Amino acid sequence: MSFSLATPATPDEAFEFLAQDPEATAILAGGTDLLLDLEEGLVRPRTVVSLRRLPWREIRWNGPRLTIGSLAPLADLEADAGLRRRLPSLAKAIHAVGSLALRHRATLGGNLGRASPASDLIPLLLVLDARLSLVRRGDRRELRLDEFIVGSRRTALAAGELIESVTIPAPLPSEYLWQRVRLANDISQVGVAVARGTTTSAWRIALGGVTPRSVRLPSAEKLLGPGLPAPLAMELAAQEAAQRAPFTTDKRATEAYRRRLVYVLVKRAVAAVAASADALPETPSPSRTAKKSVPAKARSTSAR
Amino acid sequence: MHGLRGDPAGGRIARDVEAVTRRDAAAKLRGTAEFGTDLEAPGMVWGALVGSTVAHGRLRRLDLEPARRLPGVVAVVGPSELAGLLPSGKRDAERPVFPESILRYRHEPVAAVAARTLAEARAAARAVRVEVDPLPVVSEIEDVFPEWPGEEGPRSPHVIAHVRANHGDVDGGFARAEFVHREVYRTNGVHQVALEPHACLAEVNDTTWKVTTSTQTPFGVREDTAEILGLKEDQLVVDGSWVGGGFGGKAAAFLEPYALVLARACRKPVRLALTYREEFELGRTTLPSIVWLDTAVRGGKMTARRVRLLLDAGASLPGRDFATGYAIAFLLGPYEVPAFELEGYALRTNKPPFGPHRAPLAPQTAFIGESHIDSIARRLGRDPIDFRLAHVWSEGSTTPLGQKVGPFGAAEALRRAGRLAALWRKGLKPHQGVGVGVGFWGTGVGAGGEALLRLTADDLSVLQVEHDIGNGSVVVGLPAVAERVLGLPSGTVRVLTADTASAPYDSGVFGSRTVAALGQAVEKAAQQIGTTLAKRMGVRAKVRLEVERGQFFAVAGAKRVAVRELLTPDERRGGGLVVRDRHYGKPGTIDDARVREGTFYAYHDFAASVHLAQVEVDRETGAVRVMRATAFPDVGTILDPEMVRSQVEGAVVMGLGTALSEETLWGPDGRMLNPGLLDYRIPTLGDVPPIEVDPVEGFAGAGPFGLKGLGEPPIIPVPAAVANAVADATGARVTELPLTAERVARALKLL
Ligand SMILES: Cc1cc2nc3c(=O)[nH]c(=O)nc-3n(C[C@H](O)[C@H](O)[C@H](O)COP(=O)(O)OP(=O)(O)OC[C@H]3O[C@@H](n4cnc5c(N)ncnc54)[C@H](O)[C@@H]3O)c2cc1C
Repeated sequence: MSFSLATPATPDEAFEFLAQDPEATAILAGGTDLLLDLEEGLVRPRTVVSLRRLPWREIRWNGPRLTIGSLAPLADLEADAGLRRRLPSLAKAIHAVGSLALRHRATLGGNLGRASPASDLIPLLLVLDARLSLVRRGDRRELRLDEFIVGSRRTALAAGELIESVTIPAPLPSEYLWQRVRLANDISQVGVAVARGTTTSAWRIALGGVTPRSVRLPSAEKLLGPGLPAPLAMELAAQEAAQRAPFTTDKRATEAYRRRLVYVLVKRAVAAVAASADALPETPSPSRTAKKSVPAKARSTSAR
Repeated sequence: MHGLRGDPAGGRIARDVEAVTRRDAAAKLRGTAEFGTDLEAPGMVWGALVGSTVAHGRLRRLDLEPARRLPGVVAVVGPSELAGLLPSGKRDAERPVFPESILRYRHEPVAAVAARTLAEARAAARAVRVEVDPLPVVSEIEDVFPEWPGEEGPRSPHVIAHVRANHGDVDGGFARAEFVHREVYRTNGVHQVALEPHACLAEVNDTTWKVTTSTQTPFGVREDTAEILGLKEDQLVVDGSWVGGGFGGKAAAFLEPYALVLARACRKPVRLALTYREEFELGRTTLPSIVWLDTAVRGGKMTARRVRLLLDAGASLPGRDFATGYAIAFLLGPYEVPAFELEGYALRTNKPPFGPHRAPLAPQTAFIGESHIDSIARRLGRDPIDFRLAHVWSEGSTTPLGQKVGPFGAAEALRRAGRLAALWRKGLKPHQGVGVGVGFWGTGVGAGGEALLRLTADDLSVLQVEHDIGNGSVVVGLPAVAERVLGLPSGTVRVLTADTASAPYDSGVFGSRTVAALGQAVEKAAQQIGTTLAKRMGVRAKVRLEVERGQFFAVAGAKRVAVRELLTPDERRGGGLVVRDRHYGKPGTIDDARVREGTFYAYHDFAASVHLAQVEVDRETGAVRVMRATAFPDVGTILDPEMVRSQVEGAVVMGLGTALSEETLWGPDGRMLNPGLLDYRIPTLGDVPPIEVDPVEGFAGAGPFGLKGLGEPPIIPVPAAVANAVADATGARVTELPLTAERVARALKLL
């Protein structure tokens, strides 16, 4: 395996490298996925363009609107006090990725660019209505995350294009729960993200884990109705989610067990969001900024 | 050096003994220690293996030409090339270097290549064309015997070993039983997961075949390799590298014959190492088993037992019926029983060969036996620890196979565990439970070895053949024995390691035997030094040594003489005072009248191992979290408390993997489905609970100062203790290892 490595200093330089040989060029961010693919010969690029020197690392709030640079290392994000306070579910989902060592390198853009069916971030970003800002020489467009991810490891990214940032319109009361065999460096058997829209009050449920792409479950969402659901509605929605989820058996879990996990995790996540729904501040209040908020220590299964 | 009392880092050791510095730490921390994958020699080339493309098949054609034509390639060797490379001596027909016709498992090496770079070697290996006519694949035990076989069992061509033993009135015991408790259990394969893969460097010249290798058994590798290649043993020199973990996986020849053949072919040093994927695919690990247990109970006691075992042996079983004949008796546990019947088969399948894994099969069999005895106690409404105490061996007990048990700390350990369990129970929350596991081990003091000690005016050293495998038994344990005999402070005796041409014989670092068995040779040699010096000083009293400003002094009572003065002129000029001693253990004896078929093995020194675990179970998902664990190892005496603690902690971590998350998965085509560390899951640090160690001393073993081997015993009861804690928390019994959340969920009838 041999390739040439380019480390452009500006986005424009990067676009130039990308334009030269777009079909045989790989994009390198943290490299936690790409290096394995290179090692196993799954990709054989002639050129690897490293984004190491590009800026795109900031976390910016504009009122309720949150924009995160695609190259922000996940470890920086989970340590960000503002994110932990205003959107604790995302800090928690980020904490679920790999191990701390991995998160020092892995980036948000890389996680979305990879479009892995087992991503711990995609389900939550789906229910948070995330949008991607995609840039190319002299061109910029915005795509919803569900438009961007088109299949297992397949995205709508065009040749020569880069993810610049990810935007979440507003933090919502939300929760991400997952189950895996061990604490760190493991793939979730199932991940469940739940959010409740503040204006429409509509519930959103998304699953990750095995389907080729993360999916929303509208029929289960509907059963929760607007407003705070009664226990029976939560039970029915969890059952519906477990039934509807398009799962299969693989070496990590059987279909039957995955359905069981969806049932339990949807029930728990909905209950957690319902309990927190009214407590979550929309905008930072000065009195709270000084207070340190630490997300609960993640465990090998959030379902315990 | 620091004491251990109140050590915040973890385990509690009751005594305040000064711990010994790890003499290997500096080299390992500085990165100067050369492991197998670090070995290099001038002009070295790289080897790679060509593997079978099917799990079972007949080799039709092996086309090596495409590999030969590639750049950088210096040797390509298949079965046909061997005759021209090896001496005409007799080669072991059962262990051909490369198979000529029948391929028995996927990735079985059929040829090997060497090239200037690793990438070129791998490319060449891929270029070899292996054409095979596939044969039906037997991938699981059930493919051979869907259920326990009847009379026809022994006639199956897949039976590698068949063992049977019995004693007492079994039928009568079952006829008179108040109830019979019947269960079926299953365990899955586990891999050693040593951090360092197998690796070696071979060099061949006109007179000598030499291989430097990461191994637990340099002399064992010499013997195996000489047989495989048809060499005379003294034509072959085996040198050890540092070993990055063995756990049983580096206790036999593996890559060495391939590397030597390549080195002979190209007349250049050849480094051969496995990738981590190959570590999994080529196996030499523990494989699945299915066990049927029937126990007759009367008057609150187990009165008769019937145990039947089917063991997956993969493509071959080293030592043939060793695995069955040794492991099957573990299923009865360290308990007295008036009547029993054991029967076991080892079955050939198209998985890679079986190999030992820290206390081979004992954690699995203890899980089975201890789950069974626990569920009997629960059925009787008895406290599980009391029920065990009513049956457990003590000194003088007779084992099922008729061996006499020596000093044995199980009852004491169980009583301590009982007191702690009562404490833990007071704080239990819903869905939490406490479980006990008991195991026993016959530490390998039967395997022999020799020690050579050399005393000069300013140095005392132990010369031997093995490198430390990471547990400290060589670098800390052996010198500590000499130091204690001669009254020296720790750190004053050096360990020198040499190759098989220079060092005295030893059977290897395995079977928890290093300090317990080779240590006895060191102990005797050190005593010889003492008596020799006493004679030269003209004293009767015991002589001890002192070191002052780098010089050694012999001290007896008020007399203190520099060692320099006590050496003969020749010794001063030459090699110093050299003494050699040996330990060749007397094998234990079993009662042959109890053996019906096959070979059963006598255990040597009996060590007990008792653990307590507390778990919490998620009643909705089946997920198990181990909250804490305490071990009560039957150690005899403590030579070094830090080593005791680190052995036990490491064993608990490893045992938790066997208990909860580690299993090799196989497809019906004999393909390993999880050949990597993402889906073969060893615990991460976050999965490990606080571990405490409360050693049971005073039940003397055969080792120096009465110590017992400790490498393996503490892993044995871990899965059992966890499984019994899960049963305690939920009332549900999981009958298959590992206890994944999904299996627990099934036992809880959640799906
Ligand atoms: C041991 C291990 C454990 C893991 N555990 C988890 C886990 O628990 N949960 C989880 O979700 N993931 C996990 N992962 C996957 C991985 O670490 C994450 O997906 C990570 O976020 C990828 O980021 P990266 O910067 O390293 O991506 P890279 O490897 O650099 O890139 C990944 C892909 O995205 C593309 N890409 C990267 N940046 C951009 C950009 N700015 N614009 C366009 N395309 C881009 C690349 O071309 C490549 O195709 C694990 C990986 C490993 C090795």
